[in-house]
Amino acid sequence: MKRSVPLLIVFVIGTFLLASYFFNFTLPGTNITLKQGASTINNWGVIVTAFAVGLASINLLRIHGAKIINQRSGWVNSAILILTMFTFIIVGIYSRSNPDNESAAKLFSNLFNYAYSPFSATMYSMIAFYVASASYRAFRMRSLEATLLLSAAVLVMLGNAPIAEQVWAQFPVIGKWLLTVINTTGQRGIAIGVAIGGFATSLRILLGFDRGHLGQGD
Amino acid sequence: MIEGTHFVFGAFIILGSIIIGVLLATRNGKLHPKIRRIPALDSIEEAVGRATEMGRPVHYSPGYGDITTSTAPQTFASFDVLNHVVALTARYNTQLIVTCKSPQSFPIIQELVREAYLVAGKPDMFREDTVRFISEAQFAWAAGVLGIFTREQVAANIMLGYFMAESLLFAEGGAQVGAIQVAGTGNLAQTAFFVAACDYTLIGEELYAGGAYLSQDASKVGNLAGQDIVKMITIAFIVLGTLLATAESDWLLELIKK
Amino acid sequence: MWFERLQNIDRRVIYTILLIVLITPMIKPIGIPLSVNSTTRQVYNLIENLDPEKDIVMMGMDYSVAGQADVHPQAVAVAKHLANRNIRNIMVSFVADGPMLAEKIIGILGDRVTYGQNIVNVGYLAGGESAIKKFIEAPGTTFINDHRGKPLANMPVMAGIKDINDITLILDFQTGSPGYQDFLRQLPAGGPLYAAGIVTVSVPNVMPYLNSGQLAGLLQGLRGGAEYEVLIEEPGEGAARMDAQSLGHVVIVAFIIVGNLAYFGSKRKGKTHGGGDKV
Repeated sequence: MKRSVPLLIVFVIGTFLLASYFFNFTLPGTNITLKQGASTINNWGVIVTAFAVGLASINLLRIHGAKIINQRSGWVNSAILILTMFTFIIVGIYSRSNPDNESAAKLFSNLFNYAYSPFSATMYSMIAFYVASASYRAFRMRSLEATLLLSAAVLVMLGNAPIAEQVWAQFPVIGKWLLTVINTTGQRGIAIGVAIGGFATSLRILLGFDRGHLGQGD
Repeated sequence: MIEGTHFVFGAFIILGSIIIGVLLATRNGKLHPKIRRIPALDSIEEAVGRATEMGRPVHYSPGYGDITTSTAPQTFASFDVLNHVVALTARYNTQLIVTCKSPQSFPIIQELVREAYLVAGKPDMFREDTVRFISEAQFAWAAGVLGIFTREQVAANIMLGYFMAESLLFAEGGAQVGAIQVAGTGNLAQTAFFVAACDYTLIGEELYAGGAYLSQDASKVGNLAGQDIVKMITIAFIVLGTLLATAESDWLLELIKK
Repeated sequence: MWFERLQNIDRRVIYTILLIVLITPMIKPIGIPLSVNSTTRQVYNLIENLDPEKDIVMMGMDYSVAGQADVHPQAVAVAKHLANRNIRNIMVSFVADGPMLAEKIIGILGDRVTYGQNIVNVGYLAGGESAIKKFIEAPGTTFINDHRGKPLANMPVMAGIKDINDITLILDFQTGSPGYQDFLRQLPAGGPLYAAGIVTVSVPNVMPYLNSGQLAGLLQGLRGGAEYEVLIEEPGEGAARMDAQSLGHVVIVAFIIVGNLAYFGSKRKGKTHGGGDKV
């Protein structure tokens, strides 16, 4: 029962949505078309997502709240997390509910532009440094394959750098050839494989052959 | 039927039937497909063993953990492997930390891990902070996971699922704490980063083979064999299409548009 | 020993060198000449060929704040081009950060646009690909109010939009999900043209779709934004950062070469010292 009901729901809803892609007739006994029904189910999905965010936020509060109350190691970080979470929630909800209040809109905009934005950009920019250290560590000519990998990486990077074009005009040409011919071939092959794998996995889940996500119980 | 979907519908029925047919035949013992060795999946037990020896935790990430979009199959494939990893950590009594980005999959992962420990006979190993929801914001999640790597000094880092820009952050962060790393994603742009920075990488659809390979479950192995047959059919179509296009025939193109 | 030390150099040394190389041209620009890619020119030509009297563009603001550095210059340059040509621009977001970034761009455009007349920020629709599907099925009625809370029904910019075929061109700026694949799956055949502005790391992934013609044009990362600024003759953030990006690439290549020299040096040393196992 614990697994049968979710499996039945997955099958019914999944089949309904799938059918709405191919057919569009009116459901018997109603004046609702398959497409309208599918659209309603999509909307339910959005609502479930919103509730899931709420659920996860409550979990965050529980874990970090307990850490603060018990003053476990790192509780200050938890306090900062909860404080910033509530600041954004309160300011955001207030400014959306009062669109004519310019101060609230400005405050939210400032929080977004001067707090959230720089932190996110900082994390993203760390990738540049990590690329440097990962390349330095990993790109060694240990074998033929490693040499090909290294050569392709170097040529594509130089192809993208305007300064390299000033040194030799063929760098962009070689880089573009690698991207549009060699890379595209490999990408297409792997993308088709991934898509087929996704199709097979989805079919298995839809028909109830895969129950791993429901746990290992009966 | 909606205009322009006839071919897709036909393909869906035929290819879907082939996959399910092979799956059922394997389950009933009529077929015995074999999976080639996949070193990255073999290394998972080695990674957990290493963490046990060092007395440090294992970290597992199912990536974006999305279960409602087109990347959901990768997440479900990751769940298959997560079951196996939980069983290993239960056997070796090693701490497991599962970090989660998606609020929708968080309760699923919690239940999955809790039940896996129960089945393994070690329900006490599941703690409230075994599965941790970090944040739905991509880089807040990345920062949280990197913080866990540094504070908890993870010895093994397993990343399977859909990843994006944070892939290199995790891989390099794991390398900095000396963790043995196994990674796999269907997002090809990030596979290159995993190949460069991790010890073992699953490329492309090897990710989907994880559950079948580790459990040797007949349904999953059959499903994998069915996929390969569909791939052969796809290759045949590509060859046919190339020949027809060379002969300047639009026949196949018109058929696909139906 | 020297070679071993070079192979295992402290990461902080690498980071410091890279930081200096990236910051220096931002303080003292070099002005390295920049050629324009054909894919960038394709996007430029798409907009140049639009008719201000009847064509409408939908600008998808689907990049996150984290990826701003790569994609924001593209979006700003394209928005300027659309504003200069007085093309109606409907800015839609399928990521939560999008509307705020759209407001930023509208602020940058200033007097070039009249809000509600030739530009609007309709806001964010949650749901990823489902949201894209919903918008494509009913672009004129999916949103009731814009991001600022004002009703859309009376705005001239939204006039005459009954279905997706009333939109001529979709220009989607994205850092990942939802992205070009979600749009391409949902757009009807024969519908609006679709072009994308993406982060550099996604360029190899997108190539098959560009080659097959599913994408009408492509802006490739920061360089794409810089190239577009050159085309519209308004250098901005993109062009300013290209020197740094250029030198950054060269330095990483230099690191790779040094690392390999160290690797071969230590291999050789191992052989000359008779230590056959030393690598």
